[in-house]
Parts: sequence; C-alpha cells; structure tokens
Amino acid sequence: MLRKLQRKTLILAQMVGYELSLLVGAAIVLLSLQLYCDLKPLLTNQTDVFKAHTVTVSKNVTIFKTANKENLYFTDKELKKLEEQEFVKEVARFNSATFNTSAAISFEGQRMSTEMFFESVPDGYLDIQSDDWQWDSTSDFLPIVIPEDYLNLYNFGFAESQSLPVVSPALLSQVTFNVYISGNGKSKVYNSRIVGLSGKINSILVPEDFLQWANREFGAVEDKGSSRLLVEFNDASDERIAEYFKTNSLNINKSELESSKMASFFKLAMLFVIAIAVIIILLSVILIVMSMSLIAQRNREMFINLHNIGYSVNDISRFYKVVISITTVVDLLLAVVLVLWIRGLYIDRLSTFFQTGGGTTPTLTGAAVLMVLLLVVCNLFTGLVIKNIIDRQ
Amino acid sequence: MTIELRNLKPRYMSESEVSGSDIYLQPSLCFEQGRKYMICARSGHGKTSLLNFIYGINKSFDGEIVLTENEERRTENELHTRVLSFMFQDLCLFPELTAMENVQLKNRLTNFKSDTEIEQMLDALLPQGKKHQLVASLSLGQRQRVAAVRALCQPFAFLLLDEPFSHLDHDTAAKVATMINDEVEKQGAGLIVTALDAIDFFPFDVTFNL
Repeated sequence: MLRKLQRKTLILAQMVGYELSLLVGAAIVLLSLQLYCDLKPLLTNQTDVFKAHTVTVSKNVTIFKTANKENLYFTDKELKKLEEQEFVKEVARFNSATFNTSAAISFEGQRMSTEMFFESVPDGYLDIQSDDWQWDSTSDFLPIVIPEDYLNLYNFGFAESQSLPVVSPALLSQVTFNVYISGNGKSKVYNSRIVGLSGKINSILVPEDFLQWANREFGAVEDKGSSRLLVEFNDASDERIAEYFKTNSLNINKSELESSKMASFFKLAMLFVIAIAVIIILLSVILIVMSMSLIAQRNREMFINLHNIGYSVNDISRFYKVVISITTVVDLLLAVVLVLWIRGLYIDRLSTFFQTGGGTTPTLTGAAVLMVLLLVVCNLFTGLVIKNIIDRQ
Repeated sequence: MTIELRNLKPRYMSESEVSGSDIYLQPSLCFEQGRKYMICARSGHGKTSLLNFIYGINKSFDGEIVLTENEERRTENELHTRVLSFMFQDLCLFPELTAMENVQLKNRLTNFKSDTEIEQMLDALLPQGKKHQLVASLSLGQRQRVAAVRALCQPFAFLLLDEPFSHLDHDTAAKVATMINDEVEKQGAGLIVTALDAIDFFPFDVTFNL
C-alpha cells in the first residue's frame, strides 16, 4: 500500500539522470584506477620503458677547460652543494683508474693490443645483472662492462662499412682477452671477459672494489676526484633540476629526464581525470539528493499525513532508500562490467610491452569502496531530507 | 492512563484570548481513561491546536502536557499506533488510494482489524461500492466516514475526534457515533471530542468550553 502510494512520487527523468551520471563517473574512476594499477610497473621504473630517475652529470667541456683539465673534476664543495639540493636523492661518484691499462687479444697468431681506461660506479647504479660481475682478489679473472653503444657502433657502423661479421651480446661475452695493468713499478695480467652491456652508463666499468684496490696498488698517489657523477632524483620532473644544471654549467643527459617527466605527466593526467570523475560522481550524488528533496517538497502533505497516522521517518524513507540503493548497486555493477570489458581490450596490447600489475583487484576494490560510500551518503541524505520535511510541519 | 495539562496555552494566542477557558492556563487539568470529554468552542479558539498538542504533532505551546509515566517513554510512533488515535479535522486521507486502501494503510501498522472487519465497517457507513473507489472521488461526508473507520483500526487509550461530524447529516452522524462509541467502550478508552456546538451522540461525562 505504502509502496503503491510512493511509487508515483518518483521522478523518472531524475532517476535516469542519476543512473547515467553515476555510471559515467564510476566507470571513469574505476577505469583510471585500473589503468593506473596496470601501468604501475611502468611508472615505478620496474620496466625499461620509462627508465630511471638517475642521470649522469659532468661539467661542460669548454675551450678553457681543454688546456686546464683540473676544472673538469668536481670539488668537494661542489659535491656537497649538489647533495644539498632538495630534488637530489643521492649522489654517487665515478671512480677513475689512476694506473696504466691495456688490453690484448691473440687471434690466429696475431696479437692486437690497445690502451684503455677503467672506471667504476657503485653496483646499485648498474643496469646489468650478471653472476660474473664479481671480483675475487685471489682470482685472475676481471669482469668488464662496456656501453651498449660500443657494440652498436661496431655492428651497425664499423662492421657494416668494413664488411665484417656482426657480433651478438652473447658471442661478445664468450670472447676472453688479457688485461695488463701497471704502475708504481708493479704490473699484473688478468683474464678478462665482457660480462654485460650497459645502456645507461657510458664508460668501461670494472667492479668498484677491484678499482679501489688497484688504485691503491698501482695508481698515482694523488686522487683527482671525479669528473662524472651519478645523480638520483626524488622526482625527475622537478622543474628546478634543469634550472640548477643550467646555471651551474653542468652537462646532463636530458633524454633520460624526458622519460621520467613523461611518467610524471602521465600520473598528473591520471589524477586530473580521476578528479573530474570524482566531480561527476559528486554531481550525481547532488542530483539524487536534490531529486529526493524535490520529491519531499512535492509530497510534503503525503509524508506528513503518513507520519501523523503513525508511520516513522524510517518507514517513509525506506522505499526511496531501497530504490536508490538498488539503482546505485546496479549502476556500479554495470560500471565494473564496462571497465573489465575495456581492460580486456587494452591488456593484451600492454602485456606485449611489459608485465602488467595486479589483475582486476583495483576495479573490484574501488567499486566496493565506492558502493559503501554512496550507499551510506545517499541513505543518510534521503533519511535527513524526509525527516526535515516532517519536522517542519 | 491520564493526560494532564498544566498551564497550557498556545504560543500564538495571547493570555486575554484564552481568558475564561476551562482548559487553557488551568494549573492542572486531567483527562482520565474510560471517561468521555466534550470540548466546545467557536472557530479559531484553538480546538484543533489543543488536540494537536495532546497528539504531539504541534509543539508550539507554553505549559506542560504529562501523559501517565509509563506511556510517556514510548516512541512517537508507538504513541500514535498503540495509545492515542486521532480523527483529524482535515482527515489526512490519501486521495490516490481507495477508501479500503486508506484504512488498510493504517491497519498495516497495527494489525488490529482483519480485512473482513474493515470491509464490514466501511459497508455499514458508506453507500454500496464506494469502499473500492478512490478517496478523491468521494464526497467530503463520505471521506469523513472513512477517516472515522481508520481511527478505529488501532488499540488506543484515548480517541481524539476533531469536529468529527461537521459534514454529516444527523442520522449518518448518529451511525458513525454508535460505531465509535462501541469501539471506545470495548477498549475501555477515553474519548475527547471537539465541536462548534454541543453534540448529543455520546454520553459525555464532562463538557469544557475552550
């Protein structure tokens, strides 16, 4: 009887409006959430697509520094100043070998030899993973990492023009050669092999503990400091970074910053979309509350009469609460189905690039949280609006 | 159960307007369950207000209304479905529902009468076939009878009737009054009736001039 009386009071157009706006808002929020979680490995640098908040920093080589090389090294003061910048998380130095180094390889009876240099960086900054990347003071084996670019230069430049065979990274790592180091009147020969190719650090690297030992053993007494630094940022999209390096005439690998910036922009865009979707949801809640308010105003007399003959505010608002709750739940289920369908469209494509995160948990959790919030808010307001009308009689 | 009024006065009436009233501004006035009270007054003297004050849907009064202690702890809805029944002057019917549905809407809350009993009561007071017509299509007098039947569909300690026969002829009013009186007697309830002039359908114990 009560339902028969109240069914006629619903305003269909407004219910549909609520349903549609909530569906759009919820779908966008859930999709953004799902997309964010799917792309999370990408954004947190677990893949090599948007790589690293770490860059290599050196001083600009100018005509004045050509003559006086000392100016290329970072002083302790400069290092400290850089470390004190808010956007800098950590600074690591490149260590250079201060002894003489040459490498030699024997091939079909011919011996080829070349002068070379070594540097080292803390292992944490290295983008290769190899079990061979270890130096044992009792062993004659010395692992070496060279830049990926060297191999590319050879394969696509030199080998191409000289009609030489190309070399794969696997093949390269099979080649052994001798490394001669000397200094302080001492010398030593090592068996060496290239154990990895770094796409990030543009230098010939040996393990840091080896370099420290060898510098003590064979190197010059004077430590000139470092001419190159590895700098890790808190947030690579920080505008002050470019500004700082420009005013201090420091050279920075900008392309690495760009990808980090892109990740930050992507996060920002995502937040922006979520914010708009939340506003849409808020508007839909306002719409349903206004609609409820209009229903209460239009049917004020009916509600008051119902209350007068003994119906409580709960009895009177129950019908509206049930209708709004069912609409909300159905709407959110529709939004979940829609989001999962859209996810199905993009997930295959994404997983060809990288390992996507988390499954469908974000959508389901998001929908559950949204459902609880909306049910609480809508039911609370519905009860309040009706109580208000009755109390004002 | 008793209803005690202490120094009661509607806020929107001045003391001079209520001077000479048997009820308003009386230090203590008791309505007792099982007795029948008639309250007479001309229009605009606060008859409806008085019943609304007692029923608890109008709070703009000075003074106190005390229901017997154990009854006072009830919620408003329990009060309106178990203790006090009110036949409103403006009837408070729902024009979108039929006469029968209007009564059932109340009875749903109390489960006091069976559908057959309700039908019998409506049949006794309404012309043939009217009980299944929308209230919107009934005359004012017919609506008043529907409201009277509805007021009887609950247990009560007091029945409040606000000008219950204003749109009824003498014979119909007598029929309605008999039905009401029977129910009041059966429940051992008190009866408070307001009217413009004295009416003789009930054996009143006390008559007040408001």
